[in-house]
Amino acid sequence: MRGIKPLIGNDHTQAIPLAVDEHTAKLKGTLLKDIKRSAYVYRVDCGGCNACEIEIFATITPVFDAERFGIKVVASPRHADILLYTGAVTRAMRMPAIRAFDAAPDPKIVISYGACGNDGGIFHDLYCVWGGTDKILPVDVYIPGCPPTPAATIYGFAVALGLLDQKLKAKHHIEGEKEVVTLKHTGIPLELKVLIEREARSFAGYRHGQIIADEFMEILVDAKPDNVDAKIKAYLDKRGDPRLSEIITNLNAAVLERLGQGQAKKVAVNQGCAELEG
Amino acid sequence: MFKLLKTIAKAGESTTKYPFAPLEVGDAFRGKPEFEPEQCIACAACMRACPANALIMETNEQTGIRRWQLSLARCIYCGRCEEVCPTGALKLSAEFELAVTNKADLYQEAEFSLSHCLACDQAFAPKKAVQYSLDLLIQDGLGESQVEQWTKLLNTCPECRRKQNMLEGEGILQGHMLTQEFTDERN
Repeated sequence: MRGIKPLIGNDHTQAIPLAVDEHTAKLKGTLLKDIKRSAYVYRVDCGGCNACEIEIFATITPVFDAERFGIKVVASPRHADILLYTGAVTRAMRMPAIRAFDAAPDPKIVISYGACGNDGGIFHDLYCVWGGTDKILPVDVYIPGCPPTPAATIYGFAVALGLLDQKLKAKHHIEGEKEVVTLKHTGIPLELKVLIEREARSFAGYRHGQIIADEFMEILVDAKPDNVDAKIKAYLDKRGDPRLSEIITNLNAAVLERLGQGQAKKVAVNQGCAELEG
Repeated sequence: MFKLLKTIAKAGESTTKYPFAPLEVGDAFRGKPEFEPEQCIACAACMRACPANALIMETNEQTGIRRWQLSLARCIYCGRCEEVCPTGALKLSAEFELAVTNKADLYQEAEFSLSHCLACDQAFAPKKAVQYSLDLLIQDGLGESQVEQWTKLLNTCPECRRKQNMLEGEGILQGHMLTQEFTDERN
């Protein structure tokens, strides 16, 4: 069968991407160099969750309006210049995907859209998916995102048509000698820091809780005992968010409570140590 | 006709200027995860949290290297890695222009070296994680006299530490808690 390599053993088949012949590659190069007309897009859904489709249609609606660049979604692959593959390529959609590819006239641009189309996304290790458009077809442009925003989609089209350059580059970091992680909020005792972070997370979740805890601790470190309340009030007034005010007020109360208790506890511990030594 | 034109004029232009002008995104926008390798302790919390397996860590005990890899192709930009990162090395940025023509550019890698056990010379934990836990202990008020002892302890693999902490072993830290008087007092 086309694009499939039969295997012996437990792995029965393996997908081989269809090859592009030299002539088509040359045609494509010429097309991309002086593209003057609008590009028509045909959308192939290879088993996606439809979030990608919603974003594609958001891209052609008036707010983002990809049609001002002549990019138009068409209903047949025979009209298409660009093929947009979404979804993790389920086994059932492999042949229809290849048929759509064959039906589109050369030269054509294949775009793999969304996390699933690029690498299988969260479905990458399912038994029934091929895990990415590039497993079955030669892909020209990858647009990552789950789903990509309309703006990211427009950027992807621009990259595909050679109007904008890609910004992302592969990175490889190797740990340097004497590379040390810096601690945050060293001005605050660790116990108090843990308490503040824990309280903030219980109010606002991990992500926003951490942001709120960081901001609160920055205020605490900068402030002196006599102006800490004024500083917190100024910060809350600046933000003007009743939810934030509620959380910060509670954090402050928790800190004050712990400080009161902490001193008493320290005395008790000191007494205990003295007794042991005595 | 005039009424229609008036309505159109009133509505103004709703189409964004992007890509001719930069697009403003909201505060909570989850774009490309920005990785700061200097702040990473290679604890692998992000790898465990990643629902899409976009983050991968591989430990090679022979070469003493732990490799961290992020595949932006597979990433679903959920921000779970940012939630769990203890040092804030991973943060989701507002960067969304990620389309590439070359798939290799979607991969980001980092290599971290492992600490070798003082007793058996086996690689057991990332160097930076060991240093980080010591720094935390110091921040928590570890006395200067104890730093050396703890450095030795933290640079020992769990296996050897367990052996050393046997009743007749060397380097026992909690010995005073094992006396009969202490147990009686606690009970």
